[in-house]
Amino acid sequence: MKTTATPRATTGLRVSTQRLVHIYRSEGHEVAALSGVDLEVGAGEMVGLLGPSGAGKSTLLSLLAGVFRPSAGKVFVGQTELSAASPNRLDEMRALEVSLMLQGAGRNLLPYFTPLENVEFAQGAARRAGKELPDPAEVLAAVGLVAEAGRPLGELSPGHLQLAALAVAMAPRPGLLLADEPTSQLEHSARDLVLERMSLLNRELGTTVVLVTHDPDVAAFLPRTITIRDGRVGGEGRSGEEYAVVTPDGFLPLPLHVRENLLPGTLVRFHLGEDGTYTLVQEARDADG
Amino acid sequence: MRRWRYRPLQAAAVAALAALMTACAAFAPLYYRAMQQALTDITLSGATVIDTSVQLSMTPGDEFYDAGPLPQPEQLADQLPAAYRSDFHEPILGYAANAGVLPGGLTDPYGDLIWRSGQCDHLSFTDGACPAGPGEIAVSAADVKTFGLDVGSSVRIAGGTNQNGSSSVARLKVVGVYEQQVSDYWFGQSLTGRSGVVISTGAPAPPQHDVWITSRDSFDNALVDARSSSAGYLIDDDAVGVDELLALGPAVDDLAHRRPDVGVTPVKVVSGLPDLAHGVQEQIDQSRVTVPLLMAQLCLLAIVVLWLVLLAITEQRRPEVALARLRGRGRRGARRLLLDELLPITLLAVVPGALLAVLAAWVVPKVLLPGSVRFELGWPFLAALLASAVVLTGVTVVAVTRVAREPVERLLRRVPPRSTGWALGATDAIVIAGAGGIVVVFATGGLDGPIALAAPGLLAIVVGLVLAHLTTPTAALYGRRQLRRGRVRVGVSMLDAARSPATRRIIAIVTLASALAVFSADALIVGQRNRATAAAQQAGAPRVLDVDSNDLADIRAVLADIDPEGDELTPVVRVHPPGDDAPDTLAVIASSFRKIALFPGGGPSDALWDKLAPPDAEPIDITGTELDIDADDSTLTSKRVDNKLTPVTLGLDLVNQSGETLHTTLGTFASASAHRHFHHLVSCSEGCHVTGVWTSTLPGATIEGAVTLRNLTARSDTSPAQVVPLGPAEQWTKFYTRETGHVSPSSTTPDELTVTFQGQGVSPMTMQQRWLPTVVPALVAGPLPPGGSGNQFTLTGLDGGVQPAAKVGSLDRVPASEPNTFVTDLESLQRGRSVLATDRVQVWFGDDDPALLDQVTDALSDRGIAVAQTTTLRDIKRSYDESAAAWSLQLAALVGTVALLIALLVLVVSAVSGWRFRTRDFAALRMSGVPIRSIRSVAVAAQFPAVLVGVTAGALSGLFGAQLAMPIVPLFASAPEVSTLDLSAAWGAVVLAVVLSLVVLGAGSVIIGRALASRAELRRLRETL
Repeated sequence: MKTTATPRATTGLRVSTQRLVHIYRSEGHEVAALSGVDLEVGAGEMVGLLGPSGAGKSTLLSLLAGVFRPSAGKVFVGQTELSAASPNRLDEMRALEVSLMLQGAGRNLLPYFTPLENVEFAQGAARRAGKELPDPAEVLAAVGLVAEAGRPLGELSPGHLQLAALAVAMAPRPGLLLADEPTSQLEHSARDLVLERMSLLNRELGTTVVLVTHDPDVAAFLPRTITIRDGRVGGEGRSGEEYAVVTPDGFLPLPLHVRENLLPGTLVRFHLGEDGTYTLVQEARDADG
Repeated sequence: MRRWRYRPLQAAAVAALAALMTACAAFAPLYYRAMQQALTDITLSGATVIDTSVQLSMTPGDEFYDAGPLPQPEQLADQLPAAYRSDFHEPILGYAANAGVLPGGLTDPYGDLIWRSGQCDHLSFTDGACPAGPGEIAVSAADVKTFGLDVGSSVRIAGGTNQNGSSSVARLKVVGVYEQQVSDYWFGQSLTGRSGVVISTGAPAPPQHDVWITSRDSFDNALVDARSSSAGYLIDDDAVGVDELLALGPAVDDLAHRRPDVGVTPVKVVSGLPDLAHGVQEQIDQSRVTVPLLMAQLCLLAIVVLWLVLLAITEQRRPEVALARLRGRGRRGARRLLLDELLPITLLAVVPGALLAVLAAWVVPKVLLPGSVRFELGWPFLAALLASAVVLTGVTVVAVTRVAREPVERLLRRVPPRSTGWALGATDAIVIAGAGGIVVVFATGGLDGPIALAAPGLLAIVVGLVLAHLTTPTAALYGRRQLRRGRVRVGVSMLDAARSPATRRIIAIVTLASALAVFSADALIVGQRNRATAAAQQAGAPRVLDVDSNDLADIRAVLADIDPEGDELTPVVRVHPPGDDAPDTLAVIASSFRKIALFPGGGPSDALWDKLAPPDAEPIDITGTELDIDADDSTLTSKRVDNKLTPVTLGLDLVNQSGETLHTTLGTFASASAHRHFHHLVSCSEGCHVTGVWTSTLPGATIEGAVTLRNLTARSDTSPAQVVPLGPAEQWTKFYTRETGHVSPSSTTPDELTVTFQGQGVSPMTMQQRWLPTVVPALVAGPLPPGGSGNQFTLTGLDGGVQPAAKVGSLDRVPASEPNTFVTDLESLQRGRSVLATDRVQVWFGDDDPALLDQVTDALSDRGIAVAQTTTLRDIKRSYDESAAAWSLQLAALVGTVALLIALLVLVVSAVSGWRFRTRDFAALRMSGVPIRSIRSVAVAAQFPAVLVGVTAGALSGLFGAQLAMPIVPLFASAPEVSTLDLSAAWGAVVLAVVLSLVVLGAGSVIIGRALASRAELRRLRETL
């Protein structure tokens, strides 16, 4: 399951973060969810955020959506520094430019509305702001929901519900779509359908898509993945290849499989080969150090 | 609509609460109004026609001798302002003239000749017809019989005055014989009953005739001179409600005080309407606060509940609000999203609320208020609806805004941040501090007035909120401890309760509702109890019959015949001495009075009653019309102030069966004598008691010496001679004072009595027989009159004379008597004294039994004794119950019931609003292998303890609040003259209210818990919507 399609950066927004830190504080405890994330997502890109549970993927997504304000560092979406934006500007961004798909289709839909009405509802703020938007039925058709447009949500399958959630998220034609585990709790066929529609919209509309997943199959589907580990960018995958990313301050997080073989305290050195490649050489340590 | 259909139960719950709140608010003015109308109805229906009518009359001779021409009745009728005439039927016009038959001799009757408009419709004619032309009259049947005034006969009376000032003679022809129909038309005037009656002050006087009826023409044609003209307005009950009555009072008052513009003679206005209006206004003022405050507490409860329910509902919609915010709708848009759903429900609920109020105002007065209460929807009702709509809007907007203003970050949390610690929220702290402060000020007496009715509600709010805050962390603490000890079921239940925001809600509301239920029940029963005791105090007995006679012997004989044991009937004589402040004396037969009289709060002990017993001595009785007695060995002498001897008169006091004392002189002793025989005629054919031996002499002269009396013999034509022993000396009471001297008895044999006198200028000197009490024992309510010595004082005896008395005990109150009253034994008071006509002789009944009443009435009637009036406990109680104060308190029953229903609704709403989460939790427990039975226990145990805590705290708050509030709650229209106020808790009602609260709310929580457990299916774990 791979795609080689190149994203078109027409209406998409560029996303970047600088030394992003986020600390949760609750009842005397402080937990650093992100501890210096530097990220760059080009306009119209489709990027997956990977990583184990608790790595900070969803936190990062919320920071990109302006739901959280970072404890330190900066978040840029397009030309806007979200971390310094006023509440009104954030509302405006959410109305026009940034859509967040929450985990679980039901959380993205008003339960008493049909998919069509949900799309109408989602377009409301943007329409009031004067943005020209496609007809809600077209939005639904774009994700493949036609017959289901007017049906109560309770009658829809999980896959259709997720598509409806996608349609709602895309309803205001945002420049950035942030999706938290959009394919979790879905069967494979539904998962593939949702990814396919998401990819299609990314390609056709140029919307920048950042989605969180820990499903390797989904990761494999995406042209670019960023692995978050221990609150930092731990690696990046491009076209199926895994890379370690050197941070601006020169740190190089080791890939997991490498770390498993290198115990803490192990001395390594980089050896520059003749072909220009670096080789990691483990040095032997005597007992007295 | 679709949103409501998605959560129909929540929508229904919100609508029900909003409707309930509206109904409470709108019902108050409707009931208040209905109460006013009922009060007006019973006031008017219970008043006499003289009180409820307005009679205008002008009789020039009353005020001025020559005051110009007599105005026509129409002119008088016009004196009543036109605006008020619609409150009355058409005025009844009238003329009256003197009709003394000429030539005016001692056999010529005199009386009134009248005309009234519409009179023919209110008279029946046994002969002839209604007068239609001038000079025609109708007379009573009694006049026909007494004076021979048959139809066709005629009489001459003084007629109209000629132009030259001389009177003419009018000839009146009898054309009919009437019978007066009983109706208000006659304003209580009786046309008959005077025929042949002579009223004389000593000189011979002619007899009266009954009122003669003539036509208006007799007056208009100047056939007779009208003495007065009149216009009477009969009130139209259908047209006069409370507003009209309250307006009529001052208007009629004004009319009575201003000079009319007809003639110069003041119009005489007779009406009780000003007093009636004043009485109604007083009661309305009294209830002005009670009704709104009672209903306000209910409204407050409904608002608080609605607020909490809206909080729960909006809390549940946090994901939807978050979604709206994520879609860029901002806080305003998020608020609109919720308002679009909730506000129409609350506002539309005003309609069913209004209908509910109307229905309640239609039904409740039928149950609580007497008569047929007219139904009115006035502006206060509309204002209440408007106020409800405003409050509902406000509550909804505030509840919605609270969630809509939350940051998106908090809205997105699956479990909303919630304080489970001990700290109070700012709002709760303010409410607790505010309400608690007011309660403390109430409790310390710093605040007064009917507003204290709010005390139970405020106190319950404080207690409920504090408890709610303490319970959650306590439950969590306890739950964890139980889990650590391995008691999974209890532990999980407690943690479930601590985790659920509904727990706090339930405790707070159940506390408030239970407090209202307990307070309402207590207030209702305390009110009823106090009205009942006040009625019992005022009535004295289930029935009291005033007889129109002072023949106590006959009355007692009748009662002894019917009820020899005195279980059901007892005679009572009330002696009211002259002067308003003088205490009454209530003379009773203690043995039966103690069984029959009502003593609210408990009567005197038997030992106290026994102290009233009369002297334990037999009377010396004689029967006959002639009396003989020997006076031997007399050494009686008397010296005047100049030391010269003067005769001494010796006599006996005899008391006949009526209690009348016959002061009988035996003879005179000029000097010592060995033997004297006296013979006298006496009125003792029915029997007399020999009650005293006396001597008398000139004022200031001393008396000394002794005389022996023997051979007292009484006889009559029908009875043989009977020798009555006067001894032994122990039968007589020695009399001694330092100032007057002494009289002492002695005897050598029981048949004779030697009396020794030593008087120092007081005459007569009397030695009383022991049967006659010298000092009567009395139970005293109130202070002793001034001038007494220790427990000795004087009271007014049956004959109006001074009776020495001794206080043997105190009473808090005397039934049917004023606060300062003496209770004595009738037998004691009766000895030697007769009953005055001014004494009130009564028969007290132990039971309001019509058959017994008939029996007594008939028996009295057989002896020629009429019944003046009867008073029943039932009637007096009804008069207390039919008051605005009582009706206001009746609402307490409604308030208590509705409060419990609201609390039940809260339980339901709490379950409905959180059932998905809770059933998911239970499903997770099932998934973990917990058996369904245990889950059911957990589900039930999660709510039931909260209910239990709430009911207990509420009951205590209600009880304590009642102690604060009840002293200020008006229980009576006007305070009874003798207070029987007892504001102690009505424990029966309190217990019943607590049990009802526990049953209703406890059963509700159990059913809800079981219902939730039954929905704990595993598929709940997969639900996303």
